[in-house]
Amino acid sequence: MGDSRDAKRVRNRLALPYLDAELPLNLDLSRRDILKIAGYGSLAAFIAACGGSPTTTTSLTAKGGAMSLGSYNTDPNSKKGTQAIVDAFTAANGGTKVKLNTVDHGTFQNQISSYLQGTPEDAFTWFSGHRMRFFADKGLATPIDDVWDAVKSNYTEGFAASIKGNDGHAYAIPTDYYPWAVFYRKDVWAQHSYTVPTTWDAFKALCAQMKKDGLTPIAFADKDGWPAQGTFDILNLRLNGYDFHTELLTGKQKWTDPRVTAVYKKWSEITQYYSQAFAGLTWEQGADQLLRKTAGMYLLGLFVSDEFKASGSQADLDQLDFFPFPDMGTQYDAEKALDAPIDVYMLTKKSPTLAANRAQANAFLEFVAKGSTQVLYWQNAPGSIPTATDADTSQYPALTKKAVQIVSNAKRITQYFDRDSRPDYSGPNGMQGFLLKFLANPGQDTTSLQGQMQSFWDSLAPE
Amino acid sequence: MLLHAFLIAMVAVWLFPLFWAVYSSLRPISDTIQRGYVSWPGTLNFDNYTTVWTQAEIPYYYLNTLVIVVPGVILTLLLASMVAFCCTQFSWKFNLIVLMLFTAGNLLPPQVIIVPLYWIYLHTPIAMLGSIDISKFSFALFSDNNLLYDQYIGIILIHVVFQTGFATFVLSNYMKTITKEITESALVDGANVLRIWWSVVLPLCRPALAAMATLLFTFMYNDFFWALILLKSSDKRPITTALNNLQGQFFVDNNLVAAGALLACIPPIIVYILLQKHFVAGLTLGSTKG
Repeated sequence: MGDSRDAKRVRNRLALPYLDAELPLNLDLSRRDILKIAGYGSLAAFIAACGGSPTTTTSLTAKGGAMSLGSYNTDPNSKKGTQAIVDAFTAANGGTKVKLNTVDHGTFQNQISSYLQGTPEDAFTWFSGHRMRFFADKGLATPIDDVWDAVKSNYTEGFAASIKGNDGHAYAIPTDYYPWAVFYRKDVWAQHSYTVPTTWDAFKALCAQMKKDGLTPIAFADKDGWPAQGTFDILNLRLNGYDFHTELLTGKQKWTDPRVTAVYKKWSEITQYYSQAFAGLTWEQGADQLLRKTAGMYLLGLFVSDEFKASGSQADLDQLDFFPFPDMGTQYDAEKALDAPIDVYMLTKKSPTLAANRAQANAFLEFVAKGSTQVLYWQNAPGSIPTATDADTSQYPALTKKAVQIVSNAKRITQYFDRDSRPDYSGPNGMQGFLLKFLANPGQDTTSLQGQMQSFWDSLAPE
Repeated sequence: MLLHAFLIAMVAVWLFPLFWAVYSSLRPISDTIQRGYVSWPGTLNFDNYTTVWTQAEIPYYYLNTLVIVVPGVILTLLLASMVAFCCTQFSWKFNLIVLMLFTAGNLLPPQVIIVPLYWIYLHTPIAMLGSIDISKFSFALFSDNNLLYDQYIGIILIHVVFQTGFATFVLSNYMKTITKEITESALVDGANVLRIWWSVVLPLCRPALAAMATLLFTFMYNDFFWALILLKSSDKRPITTALNNLQGQFFVDNNLVAAGALLACIPPIIVYILLQKHFVAGLTLGSTKG
């Protein structure tokens, strides 16, 4: 720092022997010069300088120092996991002090825009998909191509694609994901000798049978608005395919399209099997129905296991199993698409300390890209599966192994409605409200509802 | 008889939510997951309280609230009593207009100005003069990032700004009951304006000040909104906002939240019990003319 001109002089002088044969034994380095060289960098940098390389790269990562991290991980498990990662990083990176600011998930999400424009931390936890690209486009996230180049060999193609911004730069390090599937209890199914349905008709027949057996066939809980979007996603993916789904969610297709009508039509065939008064139930209450054996199935993310774990009964957790959503008999069944949201770490742009802490922040991103780090997190929060290829999968229980399996079988992976579409459209005023309206009367002609969906989209200011 | 039946029913209705919160807070989450909320408990214990006290570090957030509320109340009372003093004890051209202005400011819903306020906070430089460190928490003098944003002082100031209007209104009503002869005789005895305010009027206003202090304490203590918007660091949050950190992305332990909420209720209840005479006086302050 500060004496780069001196450094250049040293380099020139050192380069001399290689350029001019007449001074092969030029050792006119003063003691001060040698000290400068020693102070300037490692031996590697010294050798590179001798080679006359013109690049003046500062090193990508640094040990010691400090950095800050804004985290939305406030679930008890993930909070513990984040703390474990931070502690491990501090220990592994020469005592780098990490200032961790944990803000409850809902507030963090709601305030993300003002947070990133204010005085954010250096690094922050976020989602991949449209929500990541949105802030990348706004210039509120720092591209991390250099870090990504260093760690990308540890990731598959799918993950690599998920962290690219619209400008082609890398913006995030994916650290964990969880698939959405249909969950059930093995013991309940064994008792009634149910089998996993692979087609839509078999699925509906199973629902009818469960109803006859006195179970709520499908636990459904939509008080918070977002859970219903999971059903929309999977039906649209199965019926209309990945391309149509992503185009629809980003406004390139119309909500009045007859293909959307078909989704609602199919959906209305199973709503009669839903939980009573689902509009007033939280997802936890839906999970409790499954746990207490009053419901037969539950379409949700792997985090449903958190509720089973919180019940304190390992025996119940061991009974939890799932299957991928059944085929609908379209050409898109072959895509085996599903929602598997990916959580990431990113760098902010406006952090007042980022310029000083960039190398430490880079080191942190490299650290969370390691399989060992992600397994450490997963041990605390088992609903989140590591993304790195070198993650040690030997400790995974059957449920996690199966989750990895169905995700790797999927040809197409989506991030979930509210991560793939714009936040204002997926929120309570938008799709969450529209889906509740649909579910209040599933048999209705959805033409006018779809018209509302489209006009709401059209009314939104361009992003 | 009918009246008593009605009253008992109303008491039951009012107490039910509180009772339910206490009941839930005594049950472990695993108990309610397995049996449901409306069920006979399998176990009842204080685990939620110990968890929220140690893991959620409630004591620190009490301290945060204290750091915000105490200077906030004192500053508000000083400023409001000055304005009320000037507007009631002196006849000048604009005193009614000034009084109306302060009262009108009280009617402004704070939410409507939040966006410009946010940017003002982000662009207002505040001096960094070190800090007072108490274990994990660091109380900056007056800023730790050179800004008004994300600082205790920012929250204190916004409380002062928004409470001064109401306090001025109430205090001026009270001060109107102080006869001008008293201040005039002080003037004749050679006291200057500040001296009259401090040594004559304020002591006379003690009941009103005590009543306002209890009211302002509860107002500022109850604040959720400002701290949520104008503070970024969760470790600076006052207790009410800090409770929000008990909620996760997916999983919410409602029993734990109930325990935390009940603990957060305790200080205002203590203040109320200690100062309830003033509290009631505050509600009827200025309703009769002396």
